Amino acid sequence: MDSSILRQLKKIAGKDAVLDRPEELMLYEYDAGVDKHRPGAVVFAQTTQQVSQIMRLASEKKIPVVPRGAGTGLSGGAIARREAIVLSLARMNKILEIDVPNQRAVVQPGVVNLELSNATAQYGYYYAPDPSSQKACTIGGNVAENSGGPHTLALGVTVNHVTGLEVVLPDGKVIELGGKPQDSTGLDLTGFFVGSEGTMGVVTRITVKLTKLPEHVTTLLGIYNTVEDAANTVVAITQSGITPAALEMLDGWMVRCVEANVHAGYPEDAAAVLLIELEGMREAVEEQAEAVSAVCMQQKAREVRRARDEKQRQLLWLGRKTAFGAVGRVTPSYYTQDGVIPRTKVPYTLAEIERISKKYGLVIANVFHAGDGNLHPLILFDSRDPGQQESSRKAAKEIMACCLSFGGSITGEHGVGMEKMGLMTAMFTEDDLEVMVRLRNAFNPESILNPQKVIPDLHFCREITGPLPKAKVEPVAGVPA
Amino acid sequence: MSALSSPVSVDRDLAAIVGDGHVTRTDFEINGVVPAAVVSPGSPEEAGAVLRLANDRGLVVAPAGGLTKQQIGGVPERIDILLSTSRMNRIEQYDPGDLTISVAAGMAFAEMQSTLREHQQWVPCDAAKLNRATIGGLLATGAAGPLKSTFGHMRDFCIGIQFVTTDGKVAKGGGRVVKNVAGYDLMKLLTGSYGSLAVITRANFKVFPRPRQTRTFICRFASIEEALKFRSFIFQSALTPMCMEIISPRAPEYLGEPGPVHDPDDYAPEHPLSLPAVEWQIVLRAAGSDNVLSRYARDLGSVATHALEGVEERDYWGWISHFEHNVLARHHNAMVIYTHLAIQSVGAALQALERAALDYNFIPAAVGRAGTGHLVLAFLPLSVDPPSAMQYANCVSAFRGLLPPGSSAEVAYCPKEAKPHFDVWGTTPTDVNMMRAVKRAIDPKNILNRGRFIV
Repeated sequence: MDSSILRQLKKIAGKDAVLDRPEELMLYEYDAGVDKHRPGAVVFAQTTQQVSQIMRLASEKKIPVVPRGAGTGLSGGAIARREAIVLSLARMNKILEIDVPNQRAVVQPGVVNLELSNATAQYGYYYAPDPSSQKACTIGGNVAENSGGPHTLALGVTVNHVTGLEVVLPDGKVIELGGKPQDSTGLDLTGFFVGSEGTMGVVTRITVKLTKLPEHVTTLLGIYNTVEDAANTVVAITQSGITPAALEMLDGWMVRCVEANVHAGYPEDAAAVLLIELEGMREAVEEQAEAVSAVCMQQKAREVRRARDEKQRQLLWLGRKTAFGAVGRVTPSYYTQDGVIPRTKVPYTLAEIERISKKYGLVIANVFHAGDGNLHPLILFDSRDPGQQESSRKAAKEIMACCLSFGGSITGEHGVGMEKMGLMTAMFTEDDLEVMVRLRNAFNPESILNPQKVIPDLHFCREITGPLPKAKVEPVAGVPA
Repeated sequence: MSALSSPVSVDRDLAAIVGDGHVTRTDFEINGVVPAAVVSPGSPEEAGAVLRLANDRGLVVAPAGGLTKQQIGGVPERIDILLSTSRMNRIEQYDPGDLTISVAAGMAFAEMQSTLREHQQWVPCDAAKLNRATIGGLLATGAAGPLKSTFGHMRDFCIGIQFVTTDGKVAKGGGRVVKNVAGYDLMKLLTGSYGSLAVITRANFKVFPRPRQTRTFICRFASIEEALKFRSFIFQSALTPMCMEIISPRAPEYLGEPGPVHDPDDYAPEHPLSLPAVEWQIVLRAAGSDNVLSRYARDLGSVATHALEGVEERDYWGWISHFEHNVLARHHNAMVIYTHLAIQSVGAALQALERAALDYNFIPAAVGRAGTGHLVLAFLPLSVDPPSAMQYANCVSAFRGLLPPGSSAEVAYCPKEAKPHFDVWGTTPTDVNMMRAVKRAIDPKNILNRGRFIV
């Protein structure tokens, strides 16, 4: 990166807040997904004013900026394209206010998700969206990706819990969207901004809802001899009129992998388990637990266990939340998918994934948010073997094609980023995407912020925004062009 | 602006798009302005062609559904086309097992709800006039009722949206699955945009299991402070009521069959000279099994003086949703304000209502979501001369001035003569310049609802 730019960045953020040596930049060339690209520089902003100054500088010099939280994203949203400045918000990590009477917290973007819940638990409240990476991921990153998590089945994803944002626009201007009220007069730009993957502005302050801790929580473990029975149970629970707080599924391979890692208490000979959490008033939880157990048994569960105490409950969840890490222990690489399908299609889709697994000779492990049809098949491969790498990408595309054929989505909570950009044309028409680009340009007219993400460069983009290097849109078998 | 074509030639060109018989006249007024023509396209593509024509010729378009909320907003300079979605009124797809439904925008909400009911499901929206209000209209106005307390509003159920832009394109956002982050969240942007950005032609919703049993508990308090103290007790308790309404002393009069209409300003309570009404109510609606409902009764104890169930309960909540319309039916010159407040600002807003009303010769009445700060505030004119336009303007300004920072309050209804004298939308914490930039990006010629919305 140009040395005068580096000098100016250091002047804005401080000498210890800019990285530019190759060995330092290497640490910022990837996220938790599969893509890689080295940035030109990394700068750690500590105040809104610094973010504003950095953006103004970047806009003047036409240098792309990629905002970054903890780098736990799975779609390449925080990875640089070209020689970009990676703008890390990790040092803006203060909880600014816990406003219990208004059931809100005001945080800087670098606050780690779980730390907010830990800080508010003493008042009887927590922050509901709980991505599996919640021990590391930041709330700013969650806002960018509109992150979900196991407990968003009943309570909704990030966008349902954010009421206010302070945003720095690409030209350095600082604007407010919303505040402590649930909504405000005029356009809901707060809701529109959440999930924009760092392509509209840099979030520097976030007001979130705090949720009352439930009086009672219980966790059931449904154990199955076949994957189909577990999948059918998901459909049956959905139709029973009960909305569990969480409804998660792990297949047999995943169960054994997790057990080897943390001894969560899953039976190793199971073909699949369902982790079902119920919460609310004690009376309601007890009744629902009985009803859900009955549904599981009707759907040929081998056994339904109920966590005896909080310790056992936490252990069951530890298994689920460390599942990705457990996979990392047994395979050199894995490729996490994030497809969504209508809930009744879970059984068919799992059968299809099984077929794809056999076709490519790759293990595909399943651990996912079954209750809302959000699948996370993990394709295991060895990145040192180019053949396997290629097969894993092909298998991933076939899985996506299957989700789309059921009217599903290419991403439920991980975002489009750079990874799934080429698939956007399978879900959206050029007209759809053009509207999105026009709206994005109202915030980010010159594509300074996170260029070449989310929306592929189609012909109209050049008409609207001027020339950009062409993103590769690869054809996908089984998906209409 | 380009020169207007003669009405006859415009009508002919519109009829060429939507067919003879679908370009009609109306005497329906929007704040005193009668649209030049009503155009009812039969498909999103036809709607697109109508918008393209309007855009090319600089015609002002007002999208319309069941006409239940058209009086909200500023006085339009003119309306060339009232674009009715009434012919796009089918359920496109319903998958009870997946708990999702796809509906054309012109369908009446109640009609969709009755289909869902066959499967013990619902979209938890209880805004007013659902027999007439359409899916598209409810989305465009972000309409809600007491259920907003727990379920949120249309933006929280809408998982996919199809719309027509002013350049005639049929576009969409979202999809048909309940969790989806592919592309920008156009559902959030269009919900509550009051038809100012695009014409909504179809929406997909996630639906919910309908509660099998509910019960309503009415709790009465001698002062607003006591009522709000009770609200804190509910927040701290394990109870999770589906609705929590606060009802001001004068409001119950408007929660029932309306009395005879006294035009224009006759405030005529049943017993005008009896004891002044001072009683505040907090009304809770709980859903659950017998055990759950008994727990409510036990925990609320003697504070709950009344319980409602069945038809009585259903009607009661219907009246709460209908409050503002009942007020307006009785007092044509009443003013109704919707608030967006932080939870702890509810008390201040209700006191601001009482204070501003008193100072400007109105009688205050309010219902609203005590737990989320969405209040419906009515200013009833005293039965003297009709208030002057400036009286409304001054009252609104005084009321807004008393609200805690961060609040916003839009005037939903007041006499159209008063509207030019103040800003019906008021200030908002969200950057208005950014809103305008968004509007320009998608409706550069400002043909959609010009002069009516905040942008």
